[in-house]
Amino acid sequence: MSKSKEVTVGDSLAVKKTARLSPLGFFMALPPVLVILFFIGGPILLAFSFTLGFTTGPNEIVALIGQEIYTKTNWWGTLEAYKSVFSDSRFPGNLKATLEITFVATTLVIVLALGMAIYQRIIGGRLATILVALSLVPLFVPVVISAFAIRTFYDGTGFFKTIFYHFGLTFPTLTMTNNAVTIGVIWTSLPFAILMISSGLQSVPDALIETAQDAGAGFMRIIATVMIPLAFVPIVIATTFTAIGIMGSFTIPYFLGANQPTMLGVEISNFFGPYNRPQHSIVMAFVIFVAASGIGFFYIWANVRSAKQSGRI
Amino acid sequence: MFKNLLKKKLVSALALTTVATLSLGVVAPSSQAASTTIRIYVAADTNILDLWEKTLIPAFSKEYPDYDVKVTFDRNGANDTQTLAKITAAVAKKRDPGMDLIDGGITTTLGSAGLLFPLYTGLVPNLKMVPKVLVTNGKGGIPYRASTVLMAYNSKNVKTPPKTLADVLTWIKANPGKFTYNAPSGGGSGYSFVQTVLDSQLSASEILKLQTGADKETQVKWAKGWDILRGLNKFTYGQNGTYPTNNAGTLDLLAKGLVDLAPVWSDQIASAIKAGTMPKDVKYYGISGPSLTGGPAFLGIPATGKNRSAARYLVNWVLSPTAQNLIVAGNMNGIPVIPASKLDPVIGATVSDINIAAIRAGYISANAADLRTAWAAEVPGK
Repeated sequence: MSKSKEVTVGDSLAVKKTARLSPLGFFMALPPVLVILFFIGGPILLAFSFTLGFTTGPNEIVALIGQEIYTKTNWWGTLEAYKSVFSDSRFPGNLKATLEITFVATTLVIVLALGMAIYQRIIGGRLATILVALSLVPLFVPVVISAFAIRTFYDGTGFFKTIFYHFGLTFPTLTMTNNAVTIGVIWTSLPFAILMISSGLQSVPDALIETAQDAGAGFMRIIATVMIPLAFVPIVIATTFTAIGIMGSFTIPYFLGANQPTMLGVEISNFFGPYNRPQHSIVMAFVIFVAASGIGFFYIWANVRSAKQSGRI
Repeated sequence: MFKNLLKKKLVSALALTTVATLSLGVVAPSSQAASTTIRIYVAADTNILDLWEKTLIPAFSKEYPDYDVKVTFDRNGANDTQTLAKITAAVAKKRDPGMDLIDGGITTTLGSAGLLFPLYTGLVPNLKMVPKVLVTNGKGGIPYRASTVLMAYNSKNVKTPPKTLADVLTWIKANPGKFTYNAPSGGGSGYSFVQTVLDSQLSASEILKLQTGADKETQVKWAKGWDILRGLNKFTYGQNGTYPTNNAGTLDLLAKGLVDLAPVWSDQIASAIKAGTMPKDVKYYGISGPSLTGGPAFLGIPATGKNRSAARYLVNWVLSPTAQNLIVAGNMNGIPVIPASKLDPVIGATVSDINIAAIRAGYISANAADLRTAWAAEVPGK
């Protein structure tokens, strides 16, 4: 009896506190929400209406200048632009290349980052600190510079090619292939993943690891059942951010990739500029948007899960 | 109380600035004699920006000290669509678009849409020296320099470069991996090679149709040309039919000695050799049957530009022998639009064998955009 009373008191206190804080919190959250609403949400809606063939009002000029613009036939618009993109012989290849590179590179980035973070957490020492610091260097190199450097490194007169040549062997030229793109995006995404995951693993208490050791758990078992579950949210955040970043990348595939198939980021820019088909490019942008929201779903799911576990909801 | 005061102050300050701007807007044009600012918008590569800022404008200011020239730069015309929209809207509303002179690829589009200030020799006397064909093709845009795509080769490895397009195609197959051209979407030199191969399979009247108007029916006849280009995939530098992304990519491969033959822009290769970024062994020449394309670059004066008459002086000066000498001899290495005989004899001799009116023109922009997307669908990786 008394217990239930306590709970109600506690609950009502919490409610009161939230109620008092909420207007302030609302106004603090307002500026970013407004910025997103007006400067991002508005244009997205406009662009979406353009893909459906609404070519009047603010879309008038772009419809006037672009080629192969489909104008709406029903009150809600038309799906002709989507049909045109999906039936283009290049689109399946481009989508496949985009998803493949995203999947392969993200997996490798997370595995590499986990390795680095676990090494630093369990073995530690001066060498580990130096290695982690070194691995963060790409974070401070502009992507254009690194893309150009990677191109020079792997192209027809590049480092490996030259070394192998002296031994009478031929090393393949990697530039202008999607393998080079994968190498490039791993190089640029690794620092953030390492930063995120290693900080996640650092917050795993020593006591837990030592307890597991005392109970006779081996190295792999500690990693699999103690460290990774406790750093689950940072790992999911690193994965989703890496995957979304790679999916929308432009500079690396533009400098290092093949002409066709290419990643959608490059193709969107091609359709918008040189091919002068803005409607098609926006349709492709929405395809990426949908795919990225799929990844974003995991991010939200992980956050909700951890909030539930810690009792915040 | 304090709030009210602040508000009052704000309002009066606003009113003052409004009045000031308004009066400025009204007064400025009438005080033209003192100093006029010509706002030029350059949507091109950096070498064109250098041409204006380091070569043309200093010389113009010396001759016409009453005029100020201000440059706005848009690298490679990345914002062409927005610029086009801005000018279209400004002319429709009879407002000042914020620029008096445009140097960029959009000039002819503006001209055909009737958005440029019409020009004739009475307003720009020097236009008399420019071949009529070029002026007509400009549709209101003023041709002021030209460049063309040429074939560059490494003279160390290639003793007798192929002289005709047919010979070039044979040479490519006989020397696998030693030729390349860049994707048409990334740069004009590769675009020119692709159009030239397509044109070689079309009749003169069909080519003319594609140069003058959007024409989907004639585009169907590109099929034979695509077959030829696809057939080159195995023999070009990139594996599995991949090509450099832009003009710079082609030049890079040529400079590193990875390819021995490639189409390049006349001004870019001349500048690269002069600057030493291209080995001295690399030479260049024009092919025939058909020749690679090229053409003039056009200046345009938006119909509602605030200082359009001042812009006219600048245009007329750019067409004068003094300015044309600078375009040919400076770092630009351009081709003049006035006869070589009007230039300085030494400078004129370097360009005397180029007949600018005979340079084969590219397609009109709508067909060019179609060519770029069709190439990407038909050729690479096939």
